[in-house]
Amino acid sequence: MSNINGKVYAMNAITPMKPWKTWILRAIFFLLGHIKPLQKDLIDLSFIQFARWVIVPRDGLPFLGDGQGKEQLRYDYLLFFSNFNGTWNQYIDAFSAVLGKGLNLVWRWSEKFPGSVPVTLFKEYIARVQFDTDYYYTAYPHATANDVKSAHIVQASLDRLEQLAQQCTPQQFADAYLRFVLEVQAHLGETGEAPIAG
Amino acid sequence: MPNQSGSMYGLTILSPIIDDEKAAPSHDLQIRDYLARLSNREHSPFALTPGTHLARLVVMDDVIYVGMPACEEHLKSKYLIFESNCDGDLDTYLGGLARTIPTHLDAIWKHCVGYPGAANVDAFIDYMKACQLTTTFYFAAVNDKSLPQTLKALQTQTAVADFIAAHQGADGTTLQREFIQFATHLKTLPLPKPGSMGPHRDIKTGGHNE
Repeated sequence: MSNINGKVYAMNAITPMKPWKTWILRAIFFLLGHIKPLQKDLIDLSFIQFARWVIVPRDGLPFLGDGQGKEQLRYDYLLFFSNFNGTWNQYIDAFSAVLGKGLNLVWRWSEKFPGSVPVTLFKEYIARVQFDTDYYYTAYPHATANDVKSAHIVQASLDRLEQLAQQCTPQQFADAYLRFVLEVQAHLGETGEAPIAG
Repeated sequence: MPNQSGSMYGLTILSPIIDDEKAAPSHDLQIRDYLARLSNREHSPFALTPGTHLARLVVMDDVIYVGMPACEEHLKSKYLIFESNCDGDLDTYLGGLARTIPTHLDAIWKHCVGYPGAANVDAFIDYMKACQLTTTFYFAAVNDKSLPQTLKALQTQTAVADFIAAHQGADGTTLQREFIQFATHLKTLPLPKPGSMGPHRDIKTGGHNE
């Protein structure tokens, strides 16, 4: 079991939903996907590298025959996979504090969901519906979501300065370099091993 | 398309695991045993395949009962979940997996119902697609950069921090000359290996969770 690799934590969760309710959730996700400002809180949270929700209809699990028993389920299921930076507690706390309304909108259709506030009951629910990861890989274990965003900002600034460097005087370059440093200085955080969670 | 966010593809595959009561150890346990011994750093099979940003493999034993008044129900099969966040086109990605790490794929998926093997790439792609679930909502924090672009940018970030630290107070002529050399040199550096921790750098803050 390895839910953690470097600076990333893999969370898996599955919750049952009455089939008629999943259509409401599908509509919510449709709106969330098409109205970008609704994703603002998710983006602002900034420690989620990738996340996905998958609604599995009760007859929607892959059936390949060949001796496999056909599933006979009463519920549809909501699968949630997240790749986030930090500890489990930090993640759930931040989720509850920042995305409380959004989370309620997504999970209130799941059986026995207690709401994202107060956080104690929310954590109890997540712990119950979560299951562990057997194998977890990341191509950049030393970097957080913010590191990756910052790295691309630094790369773009460097590319611009490099173009200019070939065709300007030393004084012009010194001025441009100063602007470059001001532009990237907030994006040069250390990558590497994660600090020990105390 | 719900499986995609920008240029990122969110692949979700659930493969039913063979339920054979005569198998000892059981097929799901054999998968778990194999995965437990697999490197998840630069020697990971996924580090060898093009385009995998993050991926996980999970044996899902059953659905979860959340308590009364919900109904308790159980799956007839256990499922192997393969969740991958990868670059671009699905056929290219799955074909890349089959061509670069067939031995690992076979060692893992041979315990799944109907798995055709990775030697026949087309059959492998068809099988994976038959087991694929459509993602309802997919979020990627950075969704317009390929894996090589991200690895390069992370390498650049570290190098730029070092360059700036080493050139504080330098005059314009020196700065311009050495910057051009630096930028040229940076382009010639090989990409960091996917899955590696990058260059060793001391954590300067120290302590716990500072």
